[in-house]
Amino acid sequence: MKEATLRQILVVTDGCSNSGISPVAAATLAREQGITVNVIGVIEKGDMGEQGEKEIREIAEAGGGLFDIVYPQQLAQTVQMLTRKAMTRTIHQVVSKELKEILGDSAMEGLVPEKRVQVAGMVDELGERSRLDVVMLVDSSGSMKPKLAAVQQAIHDFSISLRSRSGQSRMAVCSFPGKQNHLDVRIPWTEEVDQAHQLTSGLTMSGITPTGPAIIEAIALFEHVKLPTGLRDRYGHNELEDGDQGSLRDHVF
Amino acid sequence: MSFNRAIPKLPPQFRGKWNQKTYHVLRELGRGANGAVYLVSQDGVRRAVKIGAEGMDILMEVHALKSVQQGRDARVTVAPLLCDVDDLYIDGRSCTFYAMEYLDGEQLDQFVQRTGTDWVPVLIIQLLARLAVLHQRGWVFGDLKPENVIVTRADSQVRLIDFGGVTKHGCAVRQFTEEYDRAAWHAGDRRAEPAYDLFSLAVMTVRLASSPEVWKSSRTEPRQTSLLCDIIRNNDSLYPFRVPLIKAFHGQYAGAEEMKSDMLAIVQGRTTAVQQKKASGSGSSGIWIGGLFVASMLLLAGTLYYAWMM
Repeated sequence: MKEATLRQILVVTDGCSNSGISPVAAATLAREQGITVNVIGVIEKGDMGEQGEKEIREIAEAGGGLFDIVYPQQLAQTVQMLTRKAMTRTIHQVVSKELKEILGDSAMEGLVPEKRVQVAGMVDELGERSRLDVVMLVDSSGSMKPKLAAVQQAIHDFSISLRSRSGQSRMAVCSFPGKQNHLDVRIPWTEEVDQAHQLTSGLTMSGITPTGPAIIEAIALFEHVKLPTGLRDRYGHNELEDGDQGSLRDHVF
Repeated sequence: MSFNRAIPKLPPQFRGKWNQKTYHVLRELGRGANGAVYLVSQDGVRRAVKIGAEGMDILMEVHALKSVQQGRDARVTVAPLLCDVDDLYIDGRSCTFYAMEYLDGEQLDQFVQRTGTDWVPVLIIQLLARLAVLHQRGWVFGDLKPENVIVTRADSQVRLIDFGGVTKHGCAVRQFTEEYDRAAWHAGDRRAEPAYDLFSLAVMTVRLASSPEVWKSSRTEPRQTSLLCDIIRNNDSLYPFRVPLIKAFHGQYAGAEEMKSDMLAIVQGRTTAVQQKKASGSGSSGIWIGGLFVASMLLLAGTLYYAWMM
């Protein structure tokens, strides 16, 4: 298997979306484009509320990713764990699919445990060596304000984790809602986030939480995706340069 | 942390699908990031069984455990011995589990709480010997913390448990705990290398030798190793070890052996110094010396044992 690129969107939010396309539909679209959507719910105390928790779970399920609900102080560690586990899971799915093609149904379950241990070692190795592109999508609606310091720390911490991998890794950070669009790119694609970066400066604080539209716009940040014309007209603020698009489209996993 | 799937609950008795071994569950021993560990009995032998929410995580741990145990010298016990890997059905779903040697003992921090901080250098030196073997085989422990170290009840030997964080040299550390994580302390990255483990070990040493109140006071943001240095300066049992500890904070040790010999030299030098002091008339530190004597004897025994095993 040749070196692959794993693509993830990580949504950090504290409540329900209330504007635009359903975030579950948006996550389904992302997954269709080879992008996994993970969600972290950040809570101050108590719980997320049934509705918020349900939405987070559904976004992650539709996006083929994982979710967790944590306190701000657990955020940094959760980002790393969730990302790694989602990567493992994606690779595992691809590997089992290939095994299924060779060995028939329930191939992985049909293997003796010793063989599966070897597969796990391979999945681990592939995960470490793959390219990884992650867009962090930070909800900056009014209620998130007290949690943004923790989010900022988590971003920096995540950058260290990515730098420690053997595979090439990039991350971008966006906040939503944005000033003009549904999302503002706060940190464009980078391999290393500067510690001095201030997430809170120049933030648009607002009551609306357009999680769905923000996910749709975040998809456009992955160069391999060509948005359908309709969507590009509506969301395509970040026009892609021509060049390497399309060519990677079929190798997505 | 709760990811999507809950950890499946083991039935009171079960049989593995492939290897047909029957297990009786006695009690739950603990929970980690990847799963739960149970004390079980298999043909009258006590074992520990681990089961997790994601079969892949469990299999990866087994992969690490197996790799660590491969090698010419299987007698140097770094990891709990792996006994079985198998599947069982829980609520119609196939779940992977593994059984390993059961280590009857006490968690490192509880052991120190009970026996006193005199033990800390001895335990740390033992741990360094274990880490040296692990590093030699190309692995880094990763998630080093008191919860992942056991002191055996029978012979007070330090053993590493929970191999969920064990990472190949040069890769990104798979699992960590912020309190002992080099990156969270702004002292480097998360690339798996011996110095990463030694950093965690040094933080753990400070933690073990400090009172809970003092330890809490170091947890101000941002985490900085200078806070740990302050604790060392004000702590009589840590102060003599300031040089190796600070070297470990700064990643100045290439390997565990090097740090171990520095620690050993201090323990041995100190014991003789105190004995001389007693001989010259100040008898107030009898208990202190007693503890140190026991410690140094154990250390000697440990070293001899180790040397013999090599």
